[in-house]
Amino acid sequence: MVQFTKRDQSYHKSLGSPTNALAKEARVLMVGAGGIGCELLKNLVLSGFGEIHIVDLDTIDLSNLNRQFLFRYEHIKKSKALVAKEAAHAFNPSVKLEAHHSNIIDPGFNVAWFKSFTMVFNALDNLDARRHVNKMCLAADVPLIESGTTGFNGQVQVIKKGVTACYECSPKELPKTFPVCTIRSTPSQAIHCIVWGKSYLLSEIFGTSEEESAQIDSSEDLENEKEIEKLRQESQALKKIRGAMGTQSFPQLLFDKVYQDDVNRLLSMEDMWKTRRPPQPLKFAKVMEKAAELAPVDQILKDDQRAWTLEENVAIFTDSLARLSSRMQSMKTSSKSDSAEPTITFDKDDQDTLDFVTASANLRSLVFGIDTKSRFDIKQMAGNIIPAIATTNAIVAGLCVLQSFKVLKGDFSSSKEVFLSPFAPQRLLSSDKPRTPNPDCPVCSVAQALLLVDMSRATLGDLVEDFLRLELGYGEEFAVVNHQSQTLYDVEETHNLTKKFSDLGIKGDNFLKVIDEGDENPRVDLVLNFQESSISPDDKPVRGVNFPPASNSEPPSSPIARRRKPVEQSNGHTADAPNGNGSALVTSDSGIKKRQISEIDEVEIPAKRSKVQSNGYGNSGDTIVLDDTADVAILIDDD
Amino acid sequence: MTEIVTDQTPPVLHGPSDKEKKYDRQLRLWAASGQKALEDAHILLLNSGSGTVGVETLKNLVLPGIGKFTIADDSIVTEADLGVNFFLDEDCLGMSRSESCVRLLQELNSDVEGQHYQFGRDRPLEGLFSDATFTLILYTLPIDSNNLTLIQKYANEKKVPLLSIHSAGFYSYFQTHLPGSFPIVDTHPDSTATTDLRLLTPWPELSEFAQSVTKDIENQSAHDHGHIPYLAILLHHLARWQSEHGALPSTYKEKTAFRNFVSASTRTDNAEGGEENFEEAVAAVLKTISSPHLSGAVKEVFDYKPDEVESVSSFWIIAEAIKTFYSKHNALPLPGSVPDMKAQSTIYVQLQNIYKSKARQDVLEVLETVRVHPGGKDIPVTEVEIFCKNAAFIKLIHGKTSPASIVEIADKEFESDDIAALAMMPLSLLPIYLSLNATSHVPSASSSEIVATISKIIPSASSNPRIVKAAEEVARAKGGELHNISSLTGGMVAQEVIKIVTQQYIPIDNTCVFDGITSRTQVLRV
Repeated sequence: MVQFTKRDQSYHKSLGSPTNALAKEARVLMVGAGGIGCELLKNLVLSGFGEIHIVDLDTIDLSNLNRQFLFRYEHIKKSKALVAKEAAHAFNPSVKLEAHHSNIIDPGFNVAWFKSFTMVFNALDNLDARRHVNKMCLAADVPLIESGTTGFNGQVQVIKKGVTACYECSPKELPKTFPVCTIRSTPSQAIHCIVWGKSYLLSEIFGTSEEESAQIDSSEDLENEKEIEKLRQESQALKKIRGAMGTQSFPQLLFDKVYQDDVNRLLSMEDMWKTRRPPQPLKFAKVMEKAAELAPVDQILKDDQRAWTLEENVAIFTDSLARLSSRMQSMKTSSKSDSAEPTITFDKDDQDTLDFVTASANLRSLVFGIDTKSRFDIKQMAGNIIPAIATTNAIVAGLCVLQSFKVLKGDFSSSKEVFLSPFAPQRLLSSDKPRTPNPDCPVCSVAQALLLVDMSRATLGDLVEDFLRLELGYGEEFAVVNHQSQTLYDVEETHNLTKKFSDLGIKGDNFLKVIDEGDENPRVDLVLNFQESSISPDDKPVRGVNFPPASNSEPPSSPIARRRKPVEQSNGHTADAPNGNGSALVTSDSGIKKRQISEIDEVEIPAKRSKVQSNGYGNSGDTIVLDDTADVAILIDDD
Repeated sequence: MTEIVTDQTPPVLHGPSDKEKKYDRQLRLWAASGQKALEDAHILLLNSGSGTVGVETLKNLVLPGIGKFTIADDSIVTEADLGVNFFLDEDCLGMSRSESCVRLLQELNSDVEGQHYQFGRDRPLEGLFSDATFTLILYTLPIDSNNLTLIQKYANEKKVPLLSIHSAGFYSYFQTHLPGSFPIVDTHPDSTATTDLRLLTPWPELSEFAQSVTKDIENQSAHDHGHIPYLAILLHHLARWQSEHGALPSTYKEKTAFRNFVSASTRTDNAEGGEENFEEAVAAVLKTISSPHLSGAVKEVFDYKPDEVESVSSFWIIAEAIKTFYSKHNALPLPGSVPDMKAQSTIYVQLQNIYKSKARQDVLEVLETVRVHPGGKDIPVTEVEIFCKNAAFIKLIHGKTSPASIVEIADKEFESDDIAALAMMPLSLLPIYLSLNATSHVPSASSSEIVATISKIIPSASSNPRIVKAAEEVARAKGGELHNISSLTGGMVAQEVIKIVTQQYIPIDNTCVFDGITSRTQVLRV
C-alpha cells in the first residue's frame, strides 16, 4: 500500500493520487549524473519517485561546479554517481537510491536488467552511450526519456518502441574527420593545425604512434599514394627523435624536424605550391634569439584569451615539452619493465597537453600563414568543449519529468518532443507531437528476439541450420554478424559452423544480427539477444522465445517481416548492402505475416525496413564509420 | 586580460585560475564581460507564497557566480516546505525560511555572498532598502499588496529591473518590468545573419582587389579560375551587369537573372563538371546582393530620444555617433568579418585584411565623433569597437510603455484561438495568465472566485470554457507549487535575469506563460 505523507501534498493535489501512486511505485534508471542528471535527480526525488538507480562512470571535475549543484569543491575526483546519491538521499530519506560508478555499456547491464525498470532517463554526454541505451531500451521494450543540452539549447524526447521515433530514427551528425593530407601537408584552417598538434605530433611523441586517430581519415587516395608513403617515412624519422627525450637538445631537434625539415620537404614538391601559399619554415635557433626578451613563461601561460606571438609560442612549446618529457620519464621509471610503454594522450583538462597542443598548433599555423588562436579557443576546438549552464539543465530536466508523468500513465500519444528556443522572441520552448518511428531506421525497425541458448553445447551450426533455416525458414543466403560487426557466417564463410558460441567469443547477453542476403523478398534484419539457459539435453540447444512455427505457404516463409523497398543509399555513413548494390531488393507486401508477428509478445516488429545500414552491428566491418571514442563532437550535449 | 607586471617573481601558476576553470563552460557563452557583470550584481528575492520558484531561480544564479543575493521572507519553515523546496531540510523546521534557504544556497558556491532579511511585525520590510542597493529584484506571487507597492516604488525610483514569478500546480508565468529604455549591444545574433559584404557598394580597395583576381578571367588557368573567391566573382559580374544594363540588379527577377548570368560563367569542361567557387557565388546571390537597409530595431534606437540621464550613458553617446556615421555614409560601420570560402590561403587572407582594415577605419571615424562628445572622453575603444561590430543588431526594449490593455489582448488572443482550433495550431495561454493573476494577492481561491475576479476585467470570462478550465486547475493546486514546475520555471527566469544583468542576448518582452500539461510556453506583451 502506498503511503502518502505531508511532503507529498503538492503532488497529490496536482498530479492526482493515481499518478502520484504510480510514481511512488516506479523504479527508474537515470543514466548520467552530470548537468542534466543532478537536476533530474533532485526533481525525481521531490516528485515522489520511489526508486531511482544512477549510473555514471565519470568523476567530478572543477569545471562541473558551475551547474552540477549536487557536487562541491571537496568532491572533486570522486564518483558522480555516488556523490549524487548521497546528496539526494539527504533530502528525501524515504526514496530508495542505488548508485553504480560504472559504464552503462558494461555487459553486466543487460537486457534483463533494463527490463526491470519502469522507465529510463538518458542524461548523457556522448553519442556512443546514447546509442547504446537507446538500443537496450528497445530490446527490453522499456520507455526511454532522452535529453541533451548545448549552451542555451536543449531538447527532450520520449522513446517508446513501436510508438515513437527512437534516438536513431534521424541521422546524427558524426564527428568531423579530415583527410590525412590536409592535416599533414596542406592545412588551410586553424582546426587542421590543432588536429595535427593533438592527433599527430602529441601522439607520435608521447602516445603509441601506431594508433590511428579518429579525427584523421587515412583512407588512401590513389592520387596521393606517394605523398602518403613520404608521410609514413616522416613519422618514422620522428620516432627516432623520441629517443632524445629528456636531453637538452630534444626541443630543438623536434622543433627543427617538424617546423623546418618537414616543411622544407613539402616545399620541395613545387607542384603543390604553384597554387597555394608556400609554407615558411621556422628555425629554432633563429626564433630563440628573440625569445630571451620574453616575459616569464608563467606569465604567458596565464594569458588565456589572447593569441600568443611566435616567440611566446616557442617558449610554451619548449616549456610544455619539458613538462611532458619529465612526466614521461618518471612514468617510465615507475612502470614495470614488462608492462606496456607508458603514454600521455590529449586531455583538454590536462594543462601540459593543452599547452603543448596550443603552442605546436599555433607554430604550424604561423608556418602556413593561418591565423593563430588563444589557448581558450584551442581548448574548445581540440577538446570539443560544449558550453553548459545551470539554467538550460534546469529547464530540460523539468521537461523530462513532465514527460515521465505521461509515461507513467502509458499516455505516449500526449507526450511531447520539446526543443528549447531561447532566441525565438515569441516563445522560449517549442513543443511538438512525438514523431512516429522511421520505417527505415537501422535500429528500431529491425526484428528483435530473445534466444535461449545452452552455451555448454550450442554451436553456430545449431543456430544457422536448426533455428534460422528450419524454424524461421531462412534460405541459403544470409549472414550472421556479431556485436563487433564481424561476420561469423555467410555462404562463403562456413568454417565456424561446428564451433561452439563460447569458442567464437559469444557470451550471454551478447547480440547477434542476422542479415537476409537473399535476392528475393529479403527479411528485415533480425537482432537476437542471447540468454544463457540450461536446456534439457534432449532438446535442441538453441530456442527462440515465443516464435511461431514457420508456415509452409508462400515461399520463402518466415515469421520475420520483409524489407520494404529499395532505397538509395543516402549518405556516406551507411554500409553497402550485403548483396552489393541493393538492386535486387524487391518490394514486398507481407501484411498478413506482419500481423502474425505483431501478436507475439516478446517479438514486436514495429515496422518494415528498407536496406541494411550498419549501426554498431553492420555487415561489412570495413566500411563503417563509427565513433568509438567518448571524446567526440556531438550537437546536443552536456557532461 | 592584462597582467600587471611587478618586480616580484610571479607565483608558479600554470594556466587559467581556478575560477576561470570553474566557469569555463559558461565563459564560452557570455565571455569575461558577462561574467564580470554577474559578479558585480546584487539580486534581491522577495519570497512569498510557497516559496520554491524564487529559490530555484536563485540556485541558477548562485551556480554561475552572481556577486551577491539577498532573500527577504516573513515565513517560517513547515513540513510542507520540505516536500517541495530542495534548499530546506529537516533541521530547518520552525526556523526562518530566508535564513535557512540562504545557508543552503550559499553552500553551492563559495564565491557568492548571501544575505537574508526575515521581516515581520517587529521588523518591517522597509528596513531592507535603507542601506542596500540592488541590481535586480525578483518577487514571487502571491504577494501582500503593501509589500508589492513598496518594492515597485523602490524599483521605480532607482530604475531597477523587476521580475515577478508565479508558479502554482502545473502552471506558471513570469514577467519582466524593465525601467525605461533597456538597450542591448551584444545581442548574439545568429552568425549567418551577421555577414555584411557591401557588394553593391564596394569601397576602392575592395574593387581593386576584385579586379586584380578576376583579371583576364577568361584565360586564367583551371586552378586559378577555380579558386577565385566568390566575393570577387560576384563583384566582377556585378560590374559587367552594370555596364550592360546600366544599373545593378535590384528586383527579385533581376537577381534571378543575375544568378543565371554568374552560373553561366562556370567552367564545366573539367572532371567535376563545375567549380565549387562558382557554386558558392551562385548560392550567395540572393543573400548578399541587396542594399543594406536599417532593421526596425536599429531605427528604433536612432529614433529614440534619450532623456537627460540616459543621454550621458556610453550606449547613447556611441549610438548617436553611429547615427551620425550612418547619415553621412548611408551605411552602418562595417562589421569586418568574411565568411569561409573556397580560395587560395594568401588570397583569402588578403581579402580578410581588406575587410578588417575598412572596419578599423569605420571604428576610428565613430570614435572621433564619440570623443567630441563631452561625456565621450573616457569611453574605452573596445566598447566602440564592439558597438560598431554589432551595429546592425542593437536592440532597444522599452520597458513598460503603453502596452495594449488586457481587454484588447484578450480579444485578439481569443479571436485567433477560434482559427487556431481549425488550423490545429496551439491555443493561447492567456487563460493561464489570467487565472494565476487573479490569485496574485490571495494564497488560494475557488474556481468561481477566480472566474469572478477575471470577469471584472473581461466580462465574458465566465462563458469562455478555456478560462473556466484554467481557473479550475489553478484552484485545484490550492496555491501549492510542484517542485518540478518551479524548477523548470526557475531555469527560465534565471536565464532572463542573466540576459538582463549581462546586457547580452535579448530578454523576453515581457510575460512568459508556461503550461506544464502541454509543455508549452507563450510570450505575451501584457
